[in-house]
Amino acid sequence: MASTTPPIARTPRTVPARQRRGPALGRSLPHVALLLSAFAWIYPLLWGLSGALKTDMGFLDSGLGLIPHEYRWHNFVDAWNSAGIGTYFVNTVLITVATVFFTLLFSSAAGYVLARTEFPGRRALLAVIAVTFFLPRGYTIIPVYDLVNHLGLLDSIWAVVLVQVANAMVFNTFMFMGYFRTVTKDVEEAAMVDGATFHQLYFRIALPLARPMLASLGLFVFISSWNDFLIPLVFTLGRPERQTISVGLYSFIGQTSTDWSVLCAGSVISLLPIVLVFAFAQRHVVSAIAGAVKG
Amino acid sequence: MTENLVRASTGGPPPVAGPPRRTVGRRPGRPRPGIGARLRAGRWSYLYLMPFVLLVGAFTLYPIGASLVYTLFQWNGVGSPDHYVGLANFRQVVHDGVFWRSFGHTFLYAAVVVPVQLALALVLAVVLNNKRLRFSTFYRSVFFLPAVMSPAIIAVIFQLLLSNFGDSINTRLIRAHVIDHQVDWLGDPHSVMWVVIGIGIWNTLGYNLVYFLAGLQSIPEELYEAASLDGAGAWSKFWHVTLPGLREVGLMILFLAVLGSLQVFDLVQVLTGGGPYYASSVVNTYIYQQAFGGGLSAGGAGITVQPNVGFASAAAFFYGLILMVITVAQALLLRRVRASRNAARGVREGD
Repeated sequence: MASTTPPIARTPRTVPARQRRGPALGRSLPHVALLLSAFAWIYPLLWGLSGALKTDMGFLDSGLGLIPHEYRWHNFVDAWNSAGIGTYFVNTVLITVATVFFTLLFSSAAGYVLARTEFPGRRALLAVIAVTFFLPRGYTIIPVYDLVNHLGLLDSIWAVVLVQVANAMVFNTFMFMGYFRTVTKDVEEAAMVDGATFHQLYFRIALPLARPMLASLGLFVFISSWNDFLIPLVFTLGRPERQTISVGLYSFIGQTSTDWSVLCAGSVISLLPIVLVFAFAQRHVVSAIAGAVKG
Repeated sequence: MTENLVRASTGGPPPVAGPPRRTVGRRPGRPRPGIGARLRAGRWSYLYLMPFVLLVGAFTLYPIGASLVYTLFQWNGVGSPDHYVGLANFRQVVHDGVFWRSFGHTFLYAAVVVPVQLALALVLAVVLNNKRLRFSTFYRSVFFLPAVMSPAIIAVIFQLLLSNFGDSINTRLIRAHVIDHQVDWLGDPHSVMWVVIGIGIWNTLGYNLVYFLAGLQSIPEELYEAASLDGAGAWSKFWHVTLPGLREVGLMILFLAVLGSLQVFDLVQVLTGGGPYYASSVVNTYIYQQAFGGGLSAGGAGITVQPNVGFASAAAFFYGLILMVITVAQALLLRRVRASRNAARGVREGD
């Protein structure tokens, strides 16, 4: 698919002018290859989008075709109302917003004091962070389920938020700690001289300074919370009306439904926020993700 | 109130060892404050750490111990575990054919997805990293896009795409003489795992593309210029400049890709539920079905099993141990490569 020759191979610097002007084809060839593979790459997504606009008959007839014979925008209304996507959507928004908020609040606070203050037990905590960093995720879902059950939170939106925030804690705290260590302490020291309290130092000075980190980690948490499947699946098994979009669509398939175009519309609705965020904050999303390997 | 602020940018003060060094960095003649005073001085730190400590303690550390306890009981998840069976669950896991089949599928998934995906991502990254290529941001977005999407939703779309509607994939492949009969891609035990692998490669390639691009941008441009002056061609530059330059980042990428693919769950659970007849079952879907079995009504597989929490915990613990060994081995390897590189750099700078 992406097996095009690297274009560096065909743009030698010292080619005579005559030759360079000649084959315009030679320079547009990489673009043709890239455009074709890019189209093939997102074809399944385009197909899903067009499926959301097809009529039931059109869906069966047109197969792999991308252009619906007849546009049926009402699929989105059907998905939102009768397939219950509206409820799932609201649940997903609430869960994602709460998860992002609490993850950033708790992990930035923890990262701040771990980076800036000294207190008995600090080294032990750092050791715990180092060890849990290497623990594989997801193998403790059974005791967590039991714990949430004992807390009486099972089948609630808060259960999902709580577990997601807890799972995001170590990584994000580690990132904030690293960030606060690189930020200069001058402003904080000046504020201390002026008699600022501990809370003022954190909320008025440190947190605003950490804005770039808040933005990229926030994006990261947003995407993973919105896309999460296992946690909302397990913690809302008993209450379908509390489910998120991914889990809701999954059970929708199970109901031996043949409403394919409505299913496509539901998928489009669930992908839309992510695509929008990606479109507007693409640079930040990419740098947030690239940051994971640079450290 | 802020007396406990320290210069922690160097990772905190050195460990205190023995009375003579106790006062290092402190004003002479003033003794180190007692534990009570230090606890009081750190009170705001403790307050700020409280959510972290509670959450990590309750949802990360406690479950590790608790899941070990569950492994010793036969328990269907209702009430509290009381039927103690010792190590029987572990014996059952080790002798369970389906567990090992799922284990094999998971490693097959990783063994195919990781090299194919990394090779594709690397080639694509080298192509897109070319500064003279226009619209490279656009191409990057397109190839990256599937990676930010929910694997569960991806699975829904692919399930529909692979079904036989009208002018489907099957009719086209038959017309092109690639296959000679209708194939039920997700229903045929021979094809299902390969379809899952293909979609897996597609779904997460974007991450590796972005990682490789970040790695490529950290290679100094001068190295390429020097290579050009030495008369190196494109291939030789790739071989002698790009690949060595990516060694460290590349290992990290490999590390993340291996671990990520060994933990595949969403995609398989929604796409096939591990079916047909466990033909695409991976360790995580198997553990999930064993743990929450009775509640499993949705999904294509139609496998319903009685929940067996003890067995699922034993399988999860066993697999978790294997993953941890792999993680630690990879971390050690990464550290060695870093150390050898730093040593090489030190020698060069020392000259």
